[in-house]
Amino acid sequence: MATTAPETFPVHEDAHHDAHADHKPAFFQRWFMSTNHKDIGTLYLIFSIFAAIVGGGISGIMRMELAEPGIQYLGAVHEFLGGAAGDFDGSLHLWNVLITAHGLIMVFFVVMPAMIGGFANWFVPIMIGAPDMAFPRMNNISFWLTFMGFCSLMMSAFMPGGTGMGAGTGWTVYAPLSTTGSPGPAVDFGIFALHLAGAGSIMGAINFITTIFNMRAPGMSLHKMPLFVWSVLVTAFLLLLALPVLAAAITMLLTDRNFNTTFFTPQGGGDPILYQHLFWFFGHPEVYIMILPGFGIISQIISTFSRKPVFGYLGMAYAMVAIGVVGFIVWAHHMYTVGLSVNEKMYFTAATMVIAVPTGVKIFSWIATMWGGSLRFASPMWWALGFIFLFTVGGVTGVVLANGGIDDNLHDSYYVVAHFHYVLSLGAVTAMFAGWYYWFPKMFGVWHSELLSKLQFIVFFVGVNTLFFPMHFLGMNGMPRRYPDYTPAFELWNWVATKGYEIMAVSIVIFFANILYAIIVRKKAEGNYWGEGATTLEWTLSSPPPFHQFETLPVIDDKAGAAH
Amino acid sequence: MAQTIAPSGNGPNRPRMAQNTRTGLIFLGVALAMLALGYAAVPLYRMFCQVTGIDGTTQRASAAQASAVQATGQRISVRFDGNVANGLPWTFRPMQTTSNVVIGEKALAKYEARNNAARDITGTAVFNVSPVQAGKYFTKIECFCFTEQTLKPGQDVEMPVIYYVDPAILEDPDTKDIEQITLSYSFYESERL
Repeated sequence: MATTAPETFPVHEDAHHDAHADHKPAFFQRWFMSTNHKDIGTLYLIFSIFAAIVGGGISGIMRMELAEPGIQYLGAVHEFLGGAAGDFDGSLHLWNVLITAHGLIMVFFVVMPAMIGGFANWFVPIMIGAPDMAFPRMNNISFWLTFMGFCSLMMSAFMPGGTGMGAGTGWTVYAPLSTTGSPGPAVDFGIFALHLAGAGSIMGAINFITTIFNMRAPGMSLHKMPLFVWSVLVTAFLLLLALPVLAAAITMLLTDRNFNTTFFTPQGGGDPILYQHLFWFFGHPEVYIMILPGFGIISQIISTFSRKPVFGYLGMAYAMVAIGVVGFIVWAHHMYTVGLSVNEKMYFTAATMVIAVPTGVKIFSWIATMWGGSLRFASPMWWALGFIFLFTVGGVTGVVLANGGIDDNLHDSYYVVAHFHYVLSLGAVTAMFAGWYYWFPKMFGVWHSELLSKLQFIVFFVGVNTLFFPMHFLGMNGMPRRYPDYTPAFELWNWVATKGYEIMAVSIVIFFANILYAIIVRKKAEGNYWGEGATTLEWTLSSPPPFHQFETLPVIDDKAGAAH
Repeated sequence: MAQTIAPSGNGPNRPRMAQNTRTGLIFLGVALAMLALGYAAVPLYRMFCQVTGIDGTTQRASAAQASAVQATGQRISVRFDGNVANGLPWTFRPMQTTSNVVIGEKALAKYEARNNAARDITGTAVFNVSPVQAGKYFTKIECFCFTEQTLKPGQDVEMPVIYYVDPAILEDPDTKDIEQITLSYSFYESERL
């Protein structure tokens, strides 16, 4: 089955039966009207890389400005974007616009599209032995909604947003800054961007749940599914339950802004704190939405390169379920300083710390998988090991921040910035690179350079640690988030962090060089290029897989152990 | 689940498509239910705050309920604060900065409001106490904030608030150390809602 060569000539449809599996539509139809989960996955990955350049470029401007105390570059950037020369308030507003855009882009248009849209679209149907997603056309709509959401966010930067151009509300869009504090259409466009991306993600979630529930190959029971599929299933449920609440909250913002409702406006009996509750009821599951598919990717990689099944498969699967469930009842740990009572803080502190248990189960099971395994250090394994280390560092600072009492001191400081960049920028992004190098030859049929991948890992690892580790010190010394300026006392570690950004930027150059290498050298990849240990169904197919796979469903028998 | 799959939308995979549609609709329903729950959170949250006095939401009692409360010998300081929202041309200030009141006993405080504009203006006051844990023990019997207030041009009025501090404040470990409660009002112009 599915031994069709990847590079078939355009064969006439009736000429040969096997060629049908690889018959591709013409360019426009294939890429703009696609209903093929692999093509849509590729679109998502390209889109995510593009959005990452924008979002990462914005953080470059931010690190440049923060390298020294005082305001050095914001004025010039502000003028470059069409602002009036010498408009100091305008350039400070630009700072708020930059942090807002950076957060929203990285969360909604980089990590989610890459993890869920990209890798999950590509590999969930293949891993469960399905020919495609349950609703291929809805899959297409999901992608283009996400794309239009990004366009809407980009457009908001060129609309009046109160003090200057663009939406400067922070990615949390807290009222009243986002309601009475930001007149002008910029924030409306930002909210609209979230609506579009959110609608796309909800459709994607429904699609994944239906695919995983209904379209598994014969013999592929839920408890045989690869852990990556489990992670996407849990993620899809989190999306389905959390995103509509965000949609409700930001729709209320929109009507508060434009139609005189007072959901979050005190003079009409509303309460801005309610917005924070609604936002974080979405926001906390959202951070698990970003990291859980990464957990799944890492499980596949560790198992492959240890050449043995994941230790404690069921424990790993249900640890993710537990993280997902508990993730819904800890949201107020983001709002310890709004005036919660001691009892509420105690509850949210304890509940938050409980999450460390299933997370610990995962970390230790990965280590136990490697223990006694026949280890092979291909580049994805380097990234996976880096993930385990970096995510654990971020997890430990998370346990620190979970304490209501300590958080009073660290709230909105750079310690928090360090924490969530360790779990996301270093955790989730490292998992994305791990998945990229694990599946790159599978997706595109040609090899990347293993040497460049490992080099990129080393440079990236040094860069991001230099970038984010000093932020712990800055935060503990009291440097607040979200300001473009600081007292000279914080100069040293800010300078170090900016150097770290520069190192990290070099690793991204290596990343693109590696893609160029693959395009130029075109070294063909076999079907199962990782060999023994790579046991999931995508390795039974050619690289790249045929345009339509599994026209005859694979049968998973009890002994094959294809799942894990 | 075990049928052969044809790439086109008809033929042997019909039953599966129907099943997918059903599953998809069920989970679409779940998403819509969560959306509705997001909106339902608004009245639920308000009820929750009123019942629990969370976030400094003050309580309300009738005069009869208030007389039933046993006064204690202890005193607590109450500080008064008055604010006017941007764009409301009123002067609004408390007529006393602090009062030292007996816990459990009714007390009267007065605010003074003046309309500086040349038109009738109706305002509504929103209120809160700090520290927020004291909200559930700060009980108002009568307050100008219960209704809208209309002031004629140049009119100057005294606005009373009758309140008591519930003796239960002395038993709650979260609040028994509180020495001073700040009662704060902000006036907003009603038409601007």
